[in-house]
Amino acid sequence: MTTALRWHRVPRLLAMAALTVMVLGPLYWITMSAFKDREEILRSTPTIFPEHPTLENFRELFTATDYPSYLTNSFIVALLTAFFTMLVSFAAAYGLYRLRIPGGNKVAGLILVAYMIPGTLLLVPLYQVFAKVQLVDTRNALVIVNVAFTAPFCTWLLRGFFFAIPRDIDEAAAVDGAGPVRMMFRIVLPLLRPGLSTVGVYAFVFSWTEFVFASQLLVSDDLKTLPIGLSAIMGQYTVNWGLLMAGTVCTVIPAIVPFLFAGRYFVGGLTAGAVK
Amino acid sequence: MSGRSAVPGVQGVALRARAAGHRRPWTRHLLGYALVAPLVLLMVGVIGYPLLNTVLLSFQDQGVVGSNSTYVGFENYGRALGDGEFWAAIGRSGIWLVGNLVVQTVIAFVTALVIGGNGRWARASRTWTLFPWVIPTVAVAVIWQWLSNSNYGVVPKAASAVGIDGLGSPFGDSALAMPALILMNSWHWFPLGAVVIYGAMRTIPGEIYEAARVDGANAWRTFWRITFPLLQPVLFALGLVGSLWSFNIVDSIYLVTKGGPADATTTAPVFIYNKAFNEFQASDAAAVSVVTIILLAALAFFYIRVARPKEDQ
Repeated sequence: MTTALRWHRVPRLLAMAALTVMVLGPLYWITMSAFKDREEILRSTPTIFPEHPTLENFRELFTATDYPSYLTNSFIVALLTAFFTMLVSFAAAYGLYRLRIPGGNKVAGLILVAYMIPGTLLLVPLYQVFAKVQLVDTRNALVIVNVAFTAPFCTWLLRGFFFAIPRDIDEAAAVDGAGPVRMMFRIVLPLLRPGLSTVGVYAFVFSWTEFVFASQLLVSDDLKTLPIGLSAIMGQYTVNWGLLMAGTVCTVIPAIVPFLFAGRYFVGGLTAGAVK
Repeated sequence: MSGRSAVPGVQGVALRARAAGHRRPWTRHLLGYALVAPLVLLMVGVIGYPLLNTVLLSFQDQGVVGSNSTYVGFENYGRALGDGEFWAAIGRSGIWLVGNLVVQTVIAFVTALVIGGNGRWARASRTWTLFPWVIPTVAVAVIWQWLSNSNYGVVPKAASAVGIDGLGSPFGDSALAMPALILMNSWHWFPLGAVVIYGAMRTIPGEIYEAARVDGANAWRTFWRITFPLLQPVLFALGLVGSLWSFNIVDSIYLVTKGGPADATTTAPVFIYNKAFNEFQASDAAAVSVVTIILLAALAFFYIRVARPKEDQ
């Protein structure tokens, strides 16, 4: 009986092992590579764990390349994008799903269309628009574009979180004389913290990874973000894999850490959004 | 939140009616519109207006993006429709779309079944499974180029350890670049599908499975007769949104191959990107964009007509 049961579990265990290797294997490998010295990383029989772990690659990355500047720019753009996306999508979701303005359904429909519009195809005219208002080659341009592409989806994502807050609370607060603005900040906003952190993390990650717009809207070297910078480093130092791996590890970590904190809500929010 | 929000039922209803009665609705609506305005302005300014501008630009003869131009009618469209390279790019986009859809759906399904377990590792996996999706595309590109590097990569080395020698980097080989990029991109995107399918699976009531088990249905039959049909609405939505998103991908391709070798990975969006910013033919790029959007819309319409689940409430 027990053996039969165990046999039954074999395919599942194998699939789990395959998933683990497929997802965590590459991440493990680049992390280990980043700590290897120049000789060890190119050895014909690769070592599973660095024999002489070194921080040399990281030191070179932060002293000999423009990586620190790329990192700073990415942080500025991503944090601003996250902040404004939270602001815009919270406000919009409050108006659409709580105050239920007339015509709100049409806006909600437009939101769904907006997040299917191919961003790349808008690159050319968007560049012209920004050129007209003198915003080409500024971080602000990138923040505006990022917020415009994340906020519609995030507003839609917040819908589920808004519906989870009982309307009785509004009514009770209205009786107490709280106006809609006070109600929004004092009552709904605190309850919406999980939703807002989901939205913030989504916007941060979106901005952190965004390549197409950053590649055209930013021209100056000292404004470039990580996706552009790291690919430039890849072009310049093709043989220095250790350096490139250190750069990749430092690019991956800031995307994973916020996700680890808000991931629980994030997965919940995405699945809730998908099911509805 | 304080105790103030707790209002006893009946009394609350009466007070509520009074409060609603003397509140002027237009102030409430004004506030609502003011709150929605920033989002609408952003969508109009960054998505709507440029979309309109693409159409206008496609009837002009602009070269470098932003330079002067004059009206030329349908000339650009004639050139776009007669351009063999464009149709080849559309064909590659088709391969890209179908390849990504098939690979990602299969992996996402298996993953959704596996991460739904009760064990400690399965629970942890619900978080780390999403890592490939969270990390920047540029990192994905570097990781896979390093893993598949023909001299030092761990994948060719592992292959030669089991007897497959001389495996070069697939990204430099015009026959292998496309499938390799599809696999790489699927690694980046499958977690999203997996989590969505997993979430949908959890909404299927356990009693249905219980009943199937009592009837003696095996796991295979249960999956095809119960799980799969009940997931149809979610799979339909995922198929539509996922396909549109995959179609539009430029970064995964551009960061690794720039559309090469010998245009082997130039899909329609990469073709447009190159035309506008490397060949400096903004109007041609705009015309090609419009044709692509029309083709995409037609495809989406066709998909919705054919694949929409029948019992849709």
